[in-house]
Amino acid sequence: MLAVTYDLGAYLSEHWEFLLRGFARTIYVSAIAIAGSFVIGLLLGAARAHRIPVLSQLAAVYVEVIRNTPILVQIFFLYFALPEWPGIRLDVFTVAWLSVMLWGGAFNTENFRAGFEAVPQRLREGALALGFSRIATFLNVTLPIGGRIALPSSINTYIAVVKNTALLYVIAYEEFYTSAYQVNALELATWETITVLGVVYLTLVWSLSALIRFAEGRLALPEAF
Amino acid sequence: MPDWVEPVARYMLDVGLRNTLRTAAISVVLATSIGVVLGTLITIRFWLSRALIRGYIEIWRGLPIIVTLFIVHFGLPALSPKLEFDVFTSGIITLTLWGSAQIAEATRGAVQSIPREQHEASAALGFGWVGRHRYVIFPQALRRLIPPLVGLIVGIILNTTLIQVIGGSELLETAEQSIERLGSPPPVGLLDPHAFEILGAVAVVFFLICFPLTRLAAYLERRLVA
Repeated sequence: MLAVTYDLGAYLSEHWEFLLRGFARTIYVSAIAIAGSFVIGLLLGAARAHRIPVLSQLAAVYVEVIRNTPILVQIFFLYFALPEWPGIRLDVFTVAWLSVMLWGGAFNTENFRAGFEAVPQRLREGALALGFSRIATFLNVTLPIGGRIALPSSINTYIAVVKNTALLYVIAYEEFYTSAYQVNALELATWETITVLGVVYLTLVWSLSALIRFAEGRLALPEAF
Repeated sequence: MPDWVEPVARYMLDVGLRNTLRTAAISVVLATSIGVVLGTLITIRFWLSRALIRGYIEIWRGLPIIVTLFIVHFGLPALSPKLEFDVFTSGIITLTLWGSAQIAEATRGAVQSIPREQHEASAALGFGWVGRHRYVIFPQALRRLIPPLVGLIVGIILNTTLIQVIGGSELLETAEQSIERLGSPPPVGLLDPHAFEILGAVAVVFFLICFPLTRLAAYLERRLVA
């Protein structure tokens, strides 16, 4: 049955535009979420590593709530619960980037915290002894060294963010998975759909993984550390 | 407590939570067994088995889980009607594919961290390949494997909510059903979906199950690996 009906060429020539629009939304939402989770991770990771009172504790609660509840529940919560209380009604697109960004931000906070905490104390003391302020010490010593240590694990988080955008199907945000699903619902071209989904997501994910190995090679710290 | 709470809570806990825990338990057992075996086999230096297991790991780890669920639940029945599964079986297969790929990679790392001398010494004692791994290598590798394993168990528990997408009545789906019911006009509902309380409760239940496990993983990491 499959051999008779499988026709990837016809499928692509008919639906490529629709699928491409979905793919563009996947990239768009991923880019916003990755940029946002980078900023969140950097700021809250620094707050955690330097034990800045109140902010550090709030960041810990945020991280644990996101890490220990399903992301689907988080997406539903933003979309269905917030309009009831405190009465914030977010449109589909806002929930789309916000939910994956908050998820990535929590995991990135842990990545950056671990990176900053791995910077040897003596390096920070050295900078302070040279008369650097605490902020200057962070910007010139802790950030460049700890940021490098955190880089591979944070790219892993960005890969997970890209994969999580497929879950936005549940609020009918038309990213790539949702688009492919809709094509299949009309055409019942299941294995053509699976081929396209598999090739696109695996290419995305595997390229980003290759980027980790590249970054690890290029940005590795000199042996002395 | 308002009148609507008791029946909704009973339904979500009796049906939803029960299905969530049952699905998670079966998936964890299957994923761990398959993952440990594949992760040990990939350490054998034979190109074909290595390439096949590497492909298995990279594909099921690389795909978004919802795509794997699509393949299992819609793709397999298109190949043959015999491969049509109910929603929970599809969910278990999906979580097992994802979980076993993750656990295989963790097992590979743990097994390869055991120094070569341990292999040589146990071979010298007369152990064959199976006995060597069963009695010497794996027990030592277990110390490194357990912390990431606990983390992956949390991942599997959280990801059982994906079954909601294909309509299986796990915890999140029973919550959605309750919200829809309460939101409909009387006599069925109250015209007030109570999504905040119900989804909040779902989050609390998952948190109560997963937070202790996450802490346990962090504790074991300090105790066993260092």
